[in-house]
Parts: sequence; structure tokens; C-alpha cells
Amino acid sequence: MQKIKVQECSKLALETGRIMLQSGSSTNRVEAMMHTVCRSFGYPDSDSFVTPTGIFLSISDGDQQIATQIKRVDQRRIDLGKITQVSQVVNCLQSESCGKLRHGEGRSRDFLMELQRIDAERNYPMWVTNLCGGATSGFFCLLFGGSWMEFAVAFLIGLLVSASLKYISRLPVNNFLLNALASALIVLLAKTIDTWVPHIRLDTIISGGIMILVPGLALTNAIRDTMSGDLVSGTARGVEALMITSGIVAGSGAMLKIWALWGY
Amino acid sequence: MRPWDNLTLMQFAWAFLAIIGFSLRSNLKGFRVLLTGLGGGLCWASYLIVLFYTKSMLLSVFLAIILVCIYSEVVARRVATPVSVFVICVIIPLVPGRSLYYAMRAYISGESGLASRHIFDTLMIAGTIAMAIAIVASATSLLLKLKHRF
Repeated sequence: MQKIKVQECSKLALETGRIMLQSGSSTNRVEAMMHTVCRSFGYPDSDSFVTPTGIFLSISDGDQQIATQIKRVDQRRIDLGKITQVSQVVNCLQSESCGKLRHGEGRSRDFLMELQRIDAERNYPMWVTNLCGGATSGFFCLLFGGSWMEFAVAFLIGLLVSASLKYISRLPVNNFLLNALASALIVLLAKTIDTWVPHIRLDTIISGGIMILVPGLALTNAIRDTMSGDLVSGTARGVEALMITSGIVAGSGAMLKIWALWGY
Repeated sequence: MRPWDNLTLMQFAWAFLAIIGFSLRSNLKGFRVLLTGLGGGLCWASYLIVLFYTKSMLLSVFLAIILVCIYSEVVARRVATPVSVFVICVIIPLVPGRSLYYAMRAYISGESGLASRHIFDTLMIAGTIAMAIAIVASATSLLLKLKHRF
């Protein structure tokens, strides 16, 4: 086992935690991962407190010194690929027979390199994610009883909305406003297409489009955090899910009302 | 709609494809995408089948979520993935986006009774999903602890 300096170890653990938290992992998992990193670099005595927006980590080295660091985490987005990869690397630290990391001296540097590689890894190209957004929306429309024509319309709407979500999220807007704008856009596009294309039902199309935005991640994490005893982050995620939901409702409701007032 | 016929199969396929789209969009890589898609299809198909036999929406949501949560606990450990990654993807077909929209539409058109019924549906489904996930998560951690003990 390689023993490194306290500051280095704290840096490695915080980096692990930051990547996982930014990709939307549940907090008890982040805590367990950071503890594993500290233990495998020679500090079995570490404590951490993770909330969805920040990490507190304290590592003690016998009786001599205690290093405590706080890391603020912004810009959270769903990235299940990064969660998986970081978990695999951390599991690699525990096992002796893993080929990714060297043993002995270079182990901590290898681990840092691996984390940086994961952090900088490119996502799928934009057209793939947009097509996938379209497919999600379209197939949910079919699932709710839509026809093939409605599938085509929902596919188009999902495509356009995922493409524009990229641009909306570059603006300095919060999560509530982001979802409100996106769902308003879904309703606006559906209503506009409805004036040209005959014989389509808007209900299936709009509810298919809304399925892109529903807060499945926040709901799952809220429950899993609360069940593992992390009451603070469980409540925070629950409120996040509630805010996203009310954003969706507010946006689409406002747009439906505006369209009705317009007179179509 | 009778279960086990073509229509159920097609619904399974659509849920499968929709969840594949969702997990690719949230940047999942490799063959795990297929496994989450399979879980999503299983979720929706088992919901439909239980709904046909019991005629109770909440019970079918509950059983379907329990089934797919067990599926993800088992499969995610096999392919070295965090369990929550799988759970996030596979519950998506039953998350009540549709009744949310219906509630909002009824509210806009002034039918408060219909709106409150849909809002009630939404809350009940979300609560049922939460309960099912919680039950499976706690049961698994209990089982793992027992396994370590003995």
C-alpha cells in the first residue's frame, strides 16, 4: 500500500467526490467512495459529510494532524457514464489484480490521471443525444396510445426540444426556469404543428414530450438518500424534484393558456 | 387488452426503445444501455399484465417497480455498475408525467374536480414508486448485512 501526504489524499478524494456528485450520484455512494479512496491511500480514519451542493471531508493522520477541506459543487447534470466509470476505478483501487493502476509509487498519480481522463471524456456527439431525445419522446407517445403520425410529430418535437435545451442551459437560468421554458416550448411546438397537420391528438404528443423532462433522477436519489439515513440530502433532492415538477407544470400551463387566449 | 399478445409485445418494444433513448441521452455507455432498456420494457410490460389481472393501478405500479428494482439490484452488481444508475433508468416509464399533464390541462380549462383527481393520481403514483424503491433498497442492504454476518 502506498502512503501519500494528507493534502494529496484529500485532493484525490475530493476530486472523486466532485466528479460523482456533478454527474448526479446519490450522496451515500459518494461518501462510501471517498472513504474507500482515503483508506486505500493509507488513512483509514476519515469522515465526510456530503450534501447535493457541497462536500465536507476531514482526514486524520493518527494524532498528529487533521486535514479538513470543503468543496462547493456547482453545475450538476445527469451523466450516468461518469458515475459508472469512477465507481469502476475506485473498485480497482481495492482489488489487487486490477491492471489499470500501477502498484507502489505511481499508484496515486495513476489514479489522478484516470480521474482526469474520465472528467475530460467527450460525451456522445450532439446529434446522437438530440436523436435520442426525439426517440424517447416519440416512443413514449406510442406507449401512451399514439398513432404513427403522432409518433412522427412527437419525434420532431423531442428532437427540437433537446437541441434547444443545450442553448437554454447556457443562459444563466436556474433549474425551475429551464424546465418551465422547455415545457412551454413543447406545448408551443405541438400547438403550432397541430394547426398544419390534421387528425392528431395533442394529449399523447405533449405527455410524450414531457417524459423527457420528468425528474426521475431526483426522485430516485431522494428516496435512496433518505433510506440510507442522509436526511439533509434526501430532503434537498425531494425539493429539487418538486421544483422541477412545478416548473414543468407552470411552463406548459402558461403556454396552453396563452394559446387559448390567442384565439385558436 | 389481453396480456401476452402482440400488443403487449409491441408495448414492451416501445418502452425498450424509449428507455434506450433516455439512457443514451444521459450518457450511459456500452452494453449497459441494452440492459437498462430491457429493464424499462420489463417495467412497463409487467405493469400492463398486473393491471389486466387485478384492475388496480396502484398495486400494478407497486409490483412492477418492485420487480424492476430487484432486476436492477441483481443485474447492476453483475456488470459492476452502481445500482442507482439502473434504478434511475428503469423506473422512467411509470413516472407520472401523463397524469401531471392531464391535471394541468383540466385545471386550465376550469374543471377543478377532474384536476384534483389527476393531481391525486400523480401524488399517489409518485408515492407508490418511492415506497417500492425504498422497500427493495432496505431489503437488499439487510440481506447483504446478514450475508456478511454469517
